[in-house]
Amino acid sequence: MIEDPYTLGPDDEPRERRRWVSVVVPRPSRGKRTALFVGLAALAATVWIAAAGTGYAYAPAPTRAPVAPIDPPRDAAGAKRLQTKLQTQNKQLAAALKKMAPSGTYVVVDQTQNRLYVMKGQDVARTAVCSAGSGMVLKDSGGSRKWVFDTPRGVFKVRNKISNPIWKKPDWAFVEEGKPVPRNPADRFESGTLGKYALYLEDGYMIHGTLYTRLLGRSVTHGCIRLGPDDLQAVWDASPIGTPVFIF
Amino acid sequence: MIAALPALALAVAAAAPAPSAEELARLTAANDILSKQVTLAKGKEFYLVLDPSERTLHLMLKGALLQQYRVSALEVGVPRVLYRARADASDWEGRVWEAGTLDPARPLDRVEVQAPPPTAEGTELEVKVPPTPEEKYPVPARYHVRFQGGLSIEVRPPGTESKRGFWGRLASGLGAWWADASAAAGAGRGDTVRLHVVLSKEDAASLYRALPPATKLLVLPPG
Repeated sequence: MIEDPYTLGPDDEPRERRRWVSVVVPRPSRGKRTALFVGLAALAATVWIAAAGTGYAYAPAPTRAPVAPIDPPRDAAGAKRLQTKLQTQNKQLAAALKKMAPSGTYVVVDQTQNRLYVMKGQDVARTAVCSAGSGMVLKDSGGSRKWVFDTPRGVFKVRNKISNPIWKKPDWAFVEEGKPVPRNPADRFESGTLGKYALYLEDGYMIHGTLYTRLLGRSVTHGCIRLGPDDLQAVWDASPIGTPVFIF
Repeated sequence: MIAALPALALAVAAAAPAPSAEELARLTAANDILSKQVTLAKGKEFYLVLDPSERTLHLMLKGALLQQYRVSALEVGVPRVLYRARADASDWEGRVWEAGTLDPARPLDRVEVQAPPPTAEGTELEVKVPPTPEEKYPVPARYHVRFQGGLSIEVRPPGTESKRGFWGRLASGLGAWWADASAAAGAGRGDTVRLHVVLSKEDAASLYRALPPATKLLVLPPG
């Protein structure tokens, strides 16, 4: 057994307990206080200066980039030939680049921010609030099938244009409504849901109208792009078949 | 007379002064940049083109302009430790930077819905109105687009900080300094070169919300 030496004295009499211990620290002299203050200030300044010099140092971007030197032909005729060759290449590359960019009207869809732009060259001809894919995952009641409602990114073309379109409901539309998937294809057709027009892209994706205009600007669709009636009319008028549609 | 024209043209061409080495180097560099733009336009990936001379940042695909952001200022940052630069601030322009990703990443929260068992009448699902993109994707006070090879674009939407109180700004400033210092010292994912792009608040928010994954970047040489 270990006895607490502070409770019993040598004659087994309880010791007087000291509850408080006073430590008297001599007050430093004024000179020492000043030295301590200066030392701490110097330490803080050193840390601050070191910290200020660590991280990322920014400078305005240069307005001229250095051109990498080349080893030109020594004779004047060779230099002229090289110049002609480079100028020809330059023209060809510039022409190729111009050819790749869409020349007329094209449609751009910002699917995250639910905006559609009708572009004419590099100018925005019309901005529309749209609705794109919700990103939702739907699983059927048995858990054997699932659908992801994303709007695909990439470049597409308007493949077909239909006015007063009739929607052929896919399986997920019935599953979502808790209805059995019909065996008869005729039971899949529904009119009025897609609005006045539908511009077919690829893989079943469309730009079409909606009954739920209050949800425009929000990501609510099953992958298609929904527009309000006025914007749909404008896109319909501006986009002949073959119009490129860029979705990002 | 007409038969003599080609010979005359050849004579004029021969009489023209020979191009200087600088002129040939400039043409070679211009072709190199055009060639890279053509290659990017032929690809399937989205890409950004930063033009320091025009002060524009374009989001493009297949040579088509998708979005244009106006750059009001552009700075080049290099890491340094105790005032000593740890990287060379050259060699960032005229290159294609690959696989740009947002940092912090834009969250993608998918809602999973289990369909009810089918009945003849159907079951009306409870439809919740989803948030707007502005509500769904709050834009951080500072974000980066980080590319393979150590280049990053840093975007600080102006005015974001002023909404915070003093302590919020102090904490944010200290946090940013610590992140920068540790990255510069090599403790984290350090950027070799960091381009600080100043965009308007709307453009900065739009870029954050809309940037597709694995976007490439070509910085055109200034001048």
